[in-house]
Amino acid sequence: MSAQPIYLKVAKYQSLIALFILCLALSFLSDKFLTASNTWNVLRQISVNICISVGMTFVVLTAGIDLSVGSVLALSGAITAGLLKSGIELPGSNLFIGFTISGAILAGMVTGSLLGCFNGWIITKFKVPPFVATLGMLTIARGLTMLWTKGYPISGLGNHFAYIGSGWLLGIPVLVWIACITVVTAVFISNKTIFGRYIFAIGGNENASRLSGININKVKLMVYSIAGLLAAVGGIMVASRLDSAQPNAGMGYELDSIAAVVIGGTSLSGGRGSIPGTVLGAVIIGVLNNGLVLLDVSPFWQQVVKGLVILLAVIVDKANSKVE
Amino acid sequence: MKQVKVLLLMLAVLASCNSHSKKSDGNKKIAIIVSTLNNPWFVFLAETAAKKAKALGYDSKIFDSQNNTALEADHFENVISSEYNAILFNPTDATGSIANVTKAINADIPVFCMDREINSADGATSQILSDNYSGSIEIGKYFVEMLNKKGTYVELLGIVSDNNTWNRSKGFHSIVDNYKGLKMVAQQSADFDRNKALEVMESILQVHPDIDGVFCGNDAMAMGAYQALLSAGKADKVKVFGFDGAQDVIKSIKQGKIVATGMQFPKIIAETAATYADEYFKGKRDFPKKKPIAVELVNKENIDKYTGYGKKQ
Repeated sequence: MSAQPIYLKVAKYQSLIALFILCLALSFLSDKFLTASNTWNVLRQISVNICISVGMTFVVLTAGIDLSVGSVLALSGAITAGLLKSGIELPGSNLFIGFTISGAILAGMVTGSLLGCFNGWIITKFKVPPFVATLGMLTIARGLTMLWTKGYPISGLGNHFAYIGSGWLLGIPVLVWIACITVVTAVFISNKTIFGRYIFAIGGNENASRLSGININKVKLMVYSIAGLLAAVGGIMVASRLDSAQPNAGMGYELDSIAAVVIGGTSLSGGRGSIPGTVLGAVIIGVLNNGLVLLDVSPFWQQVVKGLVILLAVIVDKANSKVE
Repeated sequence: MKQVKVLLLMLAVLASCNSHSKKSDGNKKIAIIVSTLNNPWFVFLAETAAKKAKALGYDSKIFDSQNNTALEADHFENVISSEYNAILFNPTDATGSIANVTKAINADIPVFCMDREINSADGATSQILSDNYSGSIEIGKYFVEMLNKKGTYVELLGIVSDNNTWNRSKGFHSIVDNYKGLKMVAQQSADFDRNKALEVMESILQVHPDIDGVFCGNDAMAMGAYQALLSAGKADKVKVFGFDGAQDVIKSIKQGKIVATGMQFPKIIAETAATYADEYFKGKRDFPKKKPIAVELVNKENIDKYTGYGKKQ
């Protein structure tokens, strides 16, 4: 390792260096950037994207993609909010079932996992490319959200539920805790478990993995279920933060999360990448979003800048993988 | 050859189905084509139109253009070929939608525009329009009054490619910009979205913690901005203004959380359009080309007269 040339060592930390330069530039341009309250701000804002992107990283590592996360987020958040607010009526009777906060949250998470599992089932059972299968789910879940909410937001979810989105615990926002727990668990899974190694193996070479006896379908099913589950967690976080589940929540979130994964150095062709990289990617996007608003950059330019950063990240990554 | 035969057979079956369904359908049909159902305001508009059409004794169906003028064109073609008798129309685009309307008019199907305008003086049978520009002038005047003609403020814009984003912004600025004491310190887009507004506002508050007011291009953004102010502990110092008259904001004005909003009347717009279609079927032809529906300022003084998306009955 010590024989590694210097530029390779630098390449390894490219996202970290990019983030450092970005922060340095922003703190020169705005004296409000490097304040404690703004830092919490950014961390709170990216916590949802981090949760979704962790799930997306697992999917991308298997050389897949999940375009449905935004819609799954919306549906799970809406299910949680709806059950919390008004319970559910048993069909064919006048019986209402009310839900406690934890019950409603659990129902939302189960919803997300099931939708993700359905994605995985379609992909493995019918050999549908992940892009197409999850594109279908993107529309289905959005439609189901509309059906469930009838197109109107579900608001006024109560202070206890809102605590998740706006409360603090031991000096850290609850949202950030959730993101931290998600990341730590995901790092553990990917580095320390057999399941984690299988994910990398499948993305690296699916045929070789199959021949070596890995149950590929089972791993993929799990991976898409996890992506669905984490999208649901994101949905509950967003609903709690706004004290309202919006039918159009999470629109375009799949793109932000794919961007985080890609900027973080995970290869879209699978097998190569890491959870910490994705976290860095999400932080870069979050800092960029925050910084552009702090500097009052025109909304038109913001879109251009964000796109350029994604392109740059991929180009640098491509150059690096060639060097390796 | 065999494939051709199968194809012919299938066409024959389809044709017979088609003629069958036509015979059983004596009722007049009204198509409701709306720009999007991804925003509660438009859901309300479409549902009210459908309800009114049904009450008048017609069948109706709602089509969602998903903010996509090409998809809207498909809807028009389908509506024309399935011989609907009238179209209640909420356009995706002021100029892009003109061709669609012309197609329907040429097929002898009357088109009544709701809320949003098409830029063609005699294109549609009639246009029942929400007067966004004048409405935001009213908000602008009240804004100036509430801020005592001085202070700093933030504007949250809607989707920057949407006509009404700029109608509202321009109406507002046509008043507010005349006061030198009022200074806009940030103008950012939050895409008419509550979550985006919350995040953008949180960031803006870092740079400008001492603002006096926020003007938001719709009510969802006003709620998001309020949420950000609340968690920053500035909710009672900063005056928030919205636009639309959504349920959440009406409630918040009552509780003193939000200062004012521009009430649009989707119910009146939709019901007028459905009534016009009814009158058209009964032979009336001289409709006003444009019927503006005023946007009214709702504030703490007159809040008791209003409910979500309209006046109390």
